Amino acid sequence: MRNIARSRWTRVASLAAVGVLALSACGGSDSSSETATEETATDTATEETEAEDAASGEECTELTPASLQLQWFVQAQFAGYYAAKDLGFYEAACIDVTILEGGVDIVPQTVLAQGGADFAISWVPKALASIEQGAGIVDVAQVFQRSGTLQVSWADSGITTPADFAGKKIGNWGFGNEYEIFAALGEEGIDPASGVELVQQQFDMLALLNREIDAAQAMTYNEYAQLLEAVNPDTGELYQPEDFNVINYNDYGVGMLQDAIWASRDRLADADYQDLTERFVTASFEGWIYCRDNPQECADIVTANGSQLGASHQLWMMNEINKLVWPSPNGIGIVDANDWDSTVFVSINTPNLEGATVITEVPPADSYTNQFAEAANAALQAKGLNTTGDGFSPITVELKEGGA
Amino acid sequence: MSEAWADRLKFVWPPVLIALVFLGAWQLLVVSRDIKPFVLPAPTLIAENFFGGLDLMWGTAYYTGTTALLGLVFGTIAGLVMALLAQRFIVVNNLITPLAAGLAAVPIIALTPILNNMFSITSRTPRVLVTAIIVFFPMLVNVTRGLVQVQPVQLELMRSMNAQPRTVLRSLRVPNAIPFFFTGMKVAAPLAVIAALVAEYFGGPQQGLGSRIASSAANTAYGRAWAYVVAAIITGLVFYLIVVAVERWTTPWTGRTRSA
Repeated sequence: MRNIARSRWTRVASLAAVGVLALSACGGSDSSSETATEETATDTATEETEAEDAASGEECTELTPASLQLQWFVQAQFAGYYAAKDLGFYEAACIDVTILEGGVDIVPQTVLAQGGADFAISWVPKALASIEQGAGIVDVAQVFQRSGTLQVSWADSGITTPADFAGKKIGNWGFGNEYEIFAALGEEGIDPASGVELVQQQFDMLALLNREIDAAQAMTYNEYAQLLEAVNPDTGELYQPEDFNVINYNDYGVGMLQDAIWASRDRLADADYQDLTERFVTASFEGWIYCRDNPQECADIVTANGSQLGASHQLWMMNEINKLVWPSPNGIGIVDANDWDSTVFVSINTPNLEGATVITEVPPADSYTNQFAEAANAALQAKGLNTTGDGFSPITVELKEGGA
Repeated sequence: MSEAWADRLKFVWPPVLIALVFLGAWQLLVVSRDIKPFVLPAPTLIAENFFGGLDLMWGTAYYTGTTALLGLVFGTIAGLVMALLAQRFIVVNNLITPLAAGLAAVPIIALTPILNNMFSITSRTPRVLVTAIIVFFPMLVNVTRGLVQVQPVQLELMRSMNAQPRTVLRSLRVPNAIPFFFTGMKVAAPLAVIAALVAEYFGGPQQGLGSRIASSAANTAYGRAWAYVVAAIITGLVFYLIVVAVERWTTPWTGRTRSA
């Protein structure tokens, strides 16, 4: 937490410096990108043949370097990508992938839009906000088919639906992660400014455990597990699910699309990048399919990559993430137009505490494409893999104190 | 009167001109290079957000300003009391000074989450405490110095007249410390605003400047984020100017060096 917070502050404090940087950066970027385009133009012919070789599983002379910007630290939320890297799926697709860890301070979609990464993972509403502010990015794979956001309260609190939020202290994370709460409040006709007391949580669950707030925002795969990894002082045992009430925003029609793979809109005009995107998406899906069938191995891969919380926590997360990805009735990563429209609707119509909405108008229709996900599904099915996860059933994970 | 104003204007227009040139160049850069708002918002966009949401800006700045003011008051009182004790009892001095220096070195980002968990995160208390701790040190150091660094001649004179320590304090040390007090306040007041703002980054009520700058930036609403930054700058300036005004009003004989 410390480093994140410091860097966030540093950024605000040095806003003036950004202007200077932008000045110099803009001066330089034009000429360098021009030369880059020229170079790729001359190389296109040779590289295209190389790419075709790779795609058809033939010789791969040189791995294409590509970077992926995550929105958080290494954890099982990103297991599919770590698995694809560590198990060689990316290499088999002739890509050398560098995974860039995120933090509360990193905005992956703007890192992508500014050329800091080749691909990025971001929640859809946050990316929509960036698109409206001029970021040229496209959702090329909707890996998570449903939202993992919960509002958790004590079982004795009497809070069982969003309608019960009225007059209570409602925790949320801010930083653009809070819009489902505002949407739920709006659905119930509760004014976010006066009908509830909204409190920004720290990234732990202490405020709820100390009963300072009445309901806390929690991801199924992370903070909810942290609650169940805490010791109940009354019993000396870990807290049990029946100690809490859980509100799942999907059940109230305000769930918003979360983790998706985003690609650069401008670069998608380029055949090489298109090809790279298709290979990257395909290999990433292969990782996710592997993690569906081998949750324990994937949890181990994530732990080995240096996750902050331990093995039992990562296995829990892996299992919960699988529930967000699978089943994918239309195939993994395919954007469901209804879900997309619903996310856009909530983004346009939900004012937050300041009266601001995520976006003000409908984003361009080409803000997502199923072209790459469809091709990837076809390729993986041809390899005999199950890309819809029909018949997927989660495992049962036993949590240990502190997620050890 | 008019001459005095003209005189003052001479000092006002150069920084204003530089600011205008800077903003103009910034605007020109954004427009001519077609820089998108998610990279660098234009000054006009920031102004639009600022003036379009004046009520919001005022309410937000008022919330953080109140935290800063409470912290400033408590920190100043603590600093004054400790300075008096440190001046009077050498033991206290030896004890307090290193402790205070250590306290000043504890980063806000380490302190705030701890205080948030010690006191209720839903209240303003942890933020006021953080601000008070930040304010405490410059006040202690400056005021102690003012109390101690008196003219030896004056001190000897008072001692030769058998003055009680209390009398020495009242008629020699305290008057001597007043300019030091204001120097400390001029540092501490804008610092209080910054501390109150940064303390909001770690959770708690969300109606302050720090929360909203962070939240707007995370939502790629940089125009709005910068509008809040402008509000924060104004709040800090107001705090500083109030100290300057109070100084001139209460001690018109000090702090007038510019006209020389």
